[in-house]
Amino acid sequence: MTYFLQLVLSGIVVGSIYALSGLGFVLIYKSSRVLNIAHGQIIAMGAFITYALTVWLKIPLYISFFISMGVTFFLAMSVERIFLRRLIGEPIISVIMVTIGLMSILDGIIYLTPFGSFNYSFPDFFPKTTINIGPATISWTQLVGVIVTFVLIGLFSWFFKRSTVGISMRAVSDDQLASMSVGISVPKVFGLAWAMAGMSAAAAGGIIGNITGLNFETLHAFGIIVFPVVILGGLDSIVGAVVAGIIMGLIQQFASGYLDGKWGLNGTADVLPYIILLVILLFKPHGLFGTHEIERV
Amino acid sequence: MSANRWFATGNFFSAYRDEQRIFATHLDRAIFATFLTALFVWPLCFEVSSKNMLVLDNILVAMVAIIGLNLVTGFAGLISIGHAAFVGVGAYTLALLARTIGDSHVLITHAWPLMLLGCGGMGALFGAFVGLPALRLKHLYLAIATLSFQMIFQWTINFLPMFNQGQTISIGRVFWFGGEVSRKDHYFFWYYVALTIVVVFGLAVRNLLRSRYGRSLVAVRDNDRAADAMGMHPGLTKVYAFALAGFFAGVAGGLHAYLYRGAGIESFTLQQSITYLAMAIVGGLGTLTGAFWGPAAIRLLDLQVENLVEWLTAIMPANMNLATALKPLTFGLVIVLFLMFEPRGIANWWRICRSYVKLWPFRY
Repeated sequence: MTYFLQLVLSGIVVGSIYALSGLGFVLIYKSSRVLNIAHGQIIAMGAFITYALTVWLKIPLYISFFISMGVTFFLAMSVERIFLRRLIGEPIISVIMVTIGLMSILDGIIYLTPFGSFNYSFPDFFPKTTINIGPATISWTQLVGVIVTFVLIGLFSWFFKRSTVGISMRAVSDDQLASMSVGISVPKVFGLAWAMAGMSAAAAGGIIGNITGLNFETLHAFGIIVFPVVILGGLDSIVGAVVAGIIMGLIQQFASGYLDGKWGLNGTADVLPYIILLVILLFKPHGLFGTHEIERV
Repeated sequence: MSANRWFATGNFFSAYRDEQRIFATHLDRAIFATFLTALFVWPLCFEVSSKNMLVLDNILVAMVAIIGLNLVTGFAGLISIGHAAFVGVGAYTLALLARTIGDSHVLITHAWPLMLLGCGGMGALFGAFVGLPALRLKHLYLAIATLSFQMIFQWTINFLPMFNQGQTISIGRVFWFGGEVSRKDHYFFWYYVALTIVVVFGLAVRNLLRSRYGRSLVAVRDNDRAADAMGMHPGLTKVYAFALAGFFAGVAGGLHAYLYRGAGIESFTLQQSITYLAMAIVGGLGTLTGAFWGPAAIRLLDLQVENLVEWLTAIMPANMNLATALKPLTFGLVIVLFLMFEPRGIANWWRICRSYVKLWPFRY
């Protein structure tokens, strides 16, 4: 029972980060219908910028966290401006291909920095003691990470639901032509969607970096694990991304907790999400909360 | 039609049959035949080092794979981010067989053409399975399905003891009339095999594309609802496109395994899938010649990058991992630049040159 609770707890920790990364992914997809395959690279960049600022420039963690969010805000916005803006109206294939190319470019850039070849880990900012929740334990870093994640998810959802900019973003995702006619600048909204996705990715990266350490391969994998998460939740649903993120975190923890080591299996947590993804695509392709696209000729 | 079937200045098609000819003029046919003969004869005339031969073999194997990727991504309009995994399916079919019955079993060393076909068949099977979501969904989801297949494939090879956990599984030397192919002749021999396969597959695809089954792919890409109304089943056509791509990839995988005399995971990773996509895009999606230009261009670029890395490591601090950095950087740049400035790829330059020569001395 203790073991089970421990798995649930760590599943929620991992899942909340998946939720935050899935949120950024969904933001881009929802407003501009672009599948951003380079999301993991932006997450990694956020983590690396946070690290560089806190450890090398000795800026307090909470400030550098926000600075890195600001940097990726402009980074993602310029990515949209330089590469994707000119592809508006092009077939969806070339748009996806461009994000694949982008992923490759960002990979290359990261490999040029020391972060590509060495592993770093953040110094401890929080007490090393663990907290007992019932029989299970959780470290301070994890607890703070989860709290920050949920606060950020709440802020993003609030922004999307209530603020004027958020409402215009939702309008664009609903009907581009209609939103243009009421005076919303659609390209600006695309840029903002990318920028906000970049911010959320950087936040996710900073939190992951604090919890698991900085390894480019692991951070990179977060960009690909986003796919099972958003497909399970529905590609265009923010609530879906959050719920599915936590479900996926739990599934992974249970897989590594109960399946590994049995029947000669190992590392099942890395593969189960993708098997689930294929099964969902076959049987319930729009996920838990996604809208069903109805095509009319 | 033009009376002169040797030199046609412009198009004078008066029947569909004329337009569908594999070679528009006798001159085309003659040039093709000469070029082919040259490709087959030149290694006999010059002394080629094994290293250079390996580069050529690699290009030819990649061409086989890209013919498949071009069919699914170029002609049928479905992105496959997992093409390296399909190539891997082919290679590991062979490797698994070699592991179970011994790597120098008669089946592997003597019946290698059959083995290559078997690899292709296995690839087609997996391709069709991954394409199954096409029955209900559009391309966007299919791209994700292929991506997840890539991840599942990598896990399967890396973690299951059956596949030696990603370590190389060796495959024996093959036999040809007149005995075992020796170490000296190995790359030489596979050059001819791969070249023959490329030529046969190239002609086969050219033929396919003028038949009903090829044109249905293009119809589904351009407008699947219209294709549906004309009596094609869009979903099944897409599944069939994936199966075709899987077949070509599987054969390429088998060739790869024989060529390197083994299969290891590092040749079938996500990175490699992106390289394949880069090849298809640079060559020109939706053109047959693109499948030949792309691999050649990217492999040569790859060699240049390696030279550059060698040159740079001599003058730069040694702690930077330049080789791993520059490759993704150049491939990514090449993909993005081609998509933004020449989405039709090198094949389009080729087309422009051809039409210039064809209409010469007139401008249009």
